[in-house]
Amino acid sequence: MAAEGLPCEFDVVILGTGLVESVVAAACSRVGQRVLHLDRRSYYAANWASFTFNGLLDWIQRRQEPPPQPDELQDWSSLLEEGEELIYLCNADSSSVSNVQVFSFTREEEESVSPPSTTEEEEAAAAAEVEEAEEETTQSTDIKEKESKEETFNEEDDGQAAGVDGEEHEAPPPDNQSRKKVSYSELLDKGRRFNIDLVSKLMFSRGSLIDLLIKSNVSRYAEFKNVSRILTCRHGNVEQVPCSRADVFGSRQLSVVEKRKLMRFLTSVVEETEQQTAYSGRPYLDFLCEQQLGDNLQHFLLHSIAMVTEDTPTEEGLASTRHFLRCLGRYGNTPFLFPVYGLGEIPQCFCRMSAVFGGIYCLRHTVHCLLLDKSNNRCKAVIDSRGQRISCSHFVVEEGYVATERKKVVTPTRSISRAVLITDASVLPAHSDQQVSLVTVPPVAAGAPVVKMVELCSSTMTCIPGTYLVHLTCQSVGSAYEDLSPVVTRMFNTPESHDQETCPSVLWCLYFNMVDGSGVQVQGHDLPPNVYVCSGPDGGLGHEHAVTQAESIFRNILPDEEFCPPAPNPEDIIYDGDSAPSTGEEEKQGEEKGEEEAGQSERGEGTGVEEVGQSESGEE
Amino acid sequence: MYVYYQSGDLPVFVFRMSMEDYDYLFKIVLIGNAGVGKTCLVRRFTQGLFPPGQGATIGVDFMIKTVEIKGEKVKLQIWDTAGQERFRSITQSYYRSANALILTYDITCEDSFRCLPEWLREIEQYANNQVVTILVGNKIDLAEKREVLRQRAEDFAEAQSMLYLETSAKESDNVEKLFLDLACELIREAKQNKLDNNDTAPMPGEGKTINYLSCCSLN
Repeated sequence: MAAEGLPCEFDVVILGTGLVESVVAAACSRVGQRVLHLDRRSYYAANWASFTFNGLLDWIQRRQEPPPQPDELQDWSSLLEEGEELIYLCNADSSSVSNVQVFSFTREEEESVSPPSTTEEEEAAAAAEVEEAEEETTQSTDIKEKESKEETFNEEDDGQAAGVDGEEHEAPPPDNQSRKKVSYSELLDKGRRFNIDLVSKLMFSRGSLIDLLIKSNVSRYAEFKNVSRILTCRHGNVEQVPCSRADVFGSRQLSVVEKRKLMRFLTSVVEETEQQTAYSGRPYLDFLCEQQLGDNLQHFLLHSIAMVTEDTPTEEGLASTRHFLRCLGRYGNTPFLFPVYGLGEIPQCFCRMSAVFGGIYCLRHTVHCLLLDKSNNRCKAVIDSRGQRISCSHFVVEEGYVATERKKVVTPTRSISRAVLITDASVLPAHSDQQVSLVTVPPVAAGAPVVKMVELCSSTMTCIPGTYLVHLTCQSVGSAYEDLSPVVTRMFNTPESHDQETCPSVLWCLYFNMVDGSGVQVQGHDLPPNVYVCSGPDGGLGHEHAVTQAESIFRNILPDEEFCPPAPNPEDIIYDGDSAPSTGEEEKQGEEKGEEEAGQSERGEGTGVEEVGQSESGEE
Repeated sequence: MYVYYQSGDLPVFVFRMSMEDYDYLFKIVLIGNAGVGKTCLVRRFTQGLFPPGQGATIGVDFMIKTVEIKGEKVKLQIWDTAGQERFRSITQSYYRSANALILTYDITCEDSFRCLPEWLREIEQYANNQVVTILVGNKIDLAEKREVLRQRAEDFAEAQSMLYLETSAKESDNVEKLFLDLACELIREAKQNKLDNNDTAPMPGEGKTINYLSCCSLN
């Protein structure tokens, strides 16, 4: 609606709104850089995005259309000035996603399902313009949400009861009702209440992303839920993994001896011992065997707590065990948080922060080429999709926009296998149906990948009541379908599974492969030194890779500036005299809070805003 | 506000009576085309001034004003678009958890009125189902330049079951009324919800997980 043009001078131009790009945008704007942030797509967060059900169907359809004819390469050479050269970017991002397959097992289309079929459903989906029926069920969601919160904080009686319930009653009563099948049209009608992430990750409570969110105050834009339990799949059964002290003591699966052994192990592992160092270089599994913990505990410790494989070296296994334990108990009974409305919120939160500090945002807008200053080999400007020349000192770009021949990627390219399921019940029903679970699934056969599964309930606002959203992720061995369908068939009830009426039914599922971003370097490509490449999502469970990358890009651009210092609390801001009389209350706060932040007041000039130093609550 | 203590590996959350003195906290979010006067409305209400220039307010996330309604203290947290509406690039997360939306257009600008359905689509897509939406026609001080008749806007608002109000941020017409009416409506709804749930339902805006998240830096 706004046909106005963009300004033509910026410090940093950023193309792509994935997590890395968005963190860089927030960090740069925050310290006063003029940032222009663009994305060719109509939505935020690129391959980190989350979609409504209908939005996801559109996304799928776009993957399956033949790639659009590459835009007639517009010749921008007329815009060249002396001593300049053009570097064209590419606009195809479909290459990062492949092997898309969709199956629908809902009531109406029972026959239409034979793998791999897709197009009919999508056409049906696209055809059905969805008018939302608003009223119903929201209030009950609120209540549920509250229940599940209480549960998470009542650490005493939480988890263990859940584990046992699931074993004793095959299908506990409250579940029977919700297993009334949800139809496909219901999925479409209530589609906007799904928030389906393309990536599946969790936030380690003491991981770099949570630290960054808190440090920068970006956390004020999002809400989080605890992952309420960690499950594992063992001998075909789903079991709860006891993590915290309360879990261990409360567990009815563990014998008294096992409880003692586990507690002793978890307490001792925190400190480095000679015995541990003696095992360095040897598999963690050997180290665990040496502790004579028994099969049960060994399985939990290896697959669910360290989350490593059988041949991971001991030092690595110990490091991840310690990380797990450090994260435990910061917010709840497990080491993880999950953002309400899905992970796709997080990049947007950073974009909001950037905008609040003056960053200019423009979706559906791209950069066609870079202008290279031949005298110093630096990118001095970009040409946008309207042929406007925009000068910049730095250019940050999502990997997908960089032409293959200019990229230096670790070969062979690794990829991630993903599956997204909408199911009608939890893999481990418990007294509350509002559980957020991480399920670790060891390889189903030799050579098969380790699968991480996250099951989300409706109070995370990612799916509708009566359904669960299940994300499966692994490093690709074959296609996503080849890698993950054996796990799906084993743990869920699908037309391909046998004798599994007691398992949750899959209503709808999607498989796809995505390029693993961990193989992409920030620099070292055939690009000017002030152009920085951001990778897409990596296969790890946490966000370490993305945050580290964003910080390193920021350090390259602004070596002397602080990375994401806290944004002022709006309540601590006073408005200076000539434009705004500050209220008595604000003045009082101002006095208490003391000195102004230098540098910031510079920016405040002309806008009448002055910032008061934050109360250093972090240090108290 | 939650305060977090750690003892052993067990987290303990203590609900501390908020240091701030209010009965309700509501998040109000402004939307509408660029230049219709959203920021002016907020600043008029929260600071009692009409900013002469159109300089962006850098670094300000939201503004706060506590009002008293029938003896109850209501804290209003009013969020602005941070300029992301200029190129139709508002993040979805901006709409989340808003208790009320103020959809603003400029009565002297037909185009800003014609864009309303587009904004309503975004609301439907991203905002909470229970969000209270109010349509505001701003700039009535420029009556001679009016392009959108009051009746037309009223009909539109009624068809969409929204409240409607015309304001002037410049002359301070109806600005106070806008926010106070909204606050009353939100209190009414909050009480209704509490009744419906027959439970000590959390007041909107309270008990957000975020509260203790930010408090965790106390460790």
